[in-house]
Amino acid sequence: MGSTRESLAWNPGRETVHADEKTGEPEVFLEPLLWGLFSLGGFITAFLFPITVFLLFVAPVFGWWPTDPAAYATFAAHWQEPLVRLFFFALIGGSLFHGTHRLKFMLVDAGLRGPGIEAALDIILNAIAIVGTLGALYYAVRGWLFV
Amino acid sequence: MRELGGVVSALYGLIFLNLLRTLRAGESAYTAFVDTMRTPPVLYVNLVLFALLVWHAVTWFMLIGKAQPIQFTERPLPWKSVFGVNVLLWIGVSAAVVYLVFGGI
Repeated sequence: MGSTRESLAWNPGRETVHADEKTGEPEVFLEPLLWGLFSLGGFITAFLFPITVFLLFVAPVFGWWPTDPAAYATFAAHWQEPLVRLFFFALIGGSLFHGTHRLKFMLVDAGLRGPGIEAALDIILNAIAIVGTLGALYYAVRGWLFV
Repeated sequence: MRELGGVVSALYGLIFLNLLRTLRAGESAYTAFVDTMRTPPVLYVNLVLFALLVWHAVTWFMLIGKAQPIQFTERPLPWKSVFGVNVLLWIGVSAAVVYLVFGGI
């Protein structure tokens, strides 16, 4: 009982509970980062996606919007603005990290379990999210920071 | 359904990535892609996916007050109040997107 790290909380087994992690265990870094990107992507997706899809692919077709925001001249003109480029970069990156993380756990729940399979899912789906986000970054800065 | 809406968002992420690729490729490639997205078979799929996206957004806002209760006072705010505030924010953000990103009505 000499250690200052022992818990004084209710402990029915009267076993010492250490607040510090066991020695020798690898530090978990990637998992919380991916969950953080998933959560951030969830907010981006929820707030920004419906209006964007509505304006580009739904409303103009049915005449629900007076202009066509997806028309080439209109969209190309707006694309010159840094805010629009940042918007689409956040939209694409956030949605990819959110959706691929969600897909992984849907597939695991559907029965694709096991360390090997889950590792393969992690690699494939995170690769899609990372490459897609880098692709969005490339298009966002091309023509602005370089030709 | 909510989970499926999350996956749909990733699908749209790839669609927007391709939109940017065709924008870079030129007017004919861009217009052909947008026209394809609006052709009846794809348009119907688009409508279903759009409904899933909206459902994902609504349920995400419903979850915020439940999964992570917001507490300013002794008791956390009711999830319905948090949901209402988020929907108002959603409307405000959508209006900002219309004006700042798409140049207004």
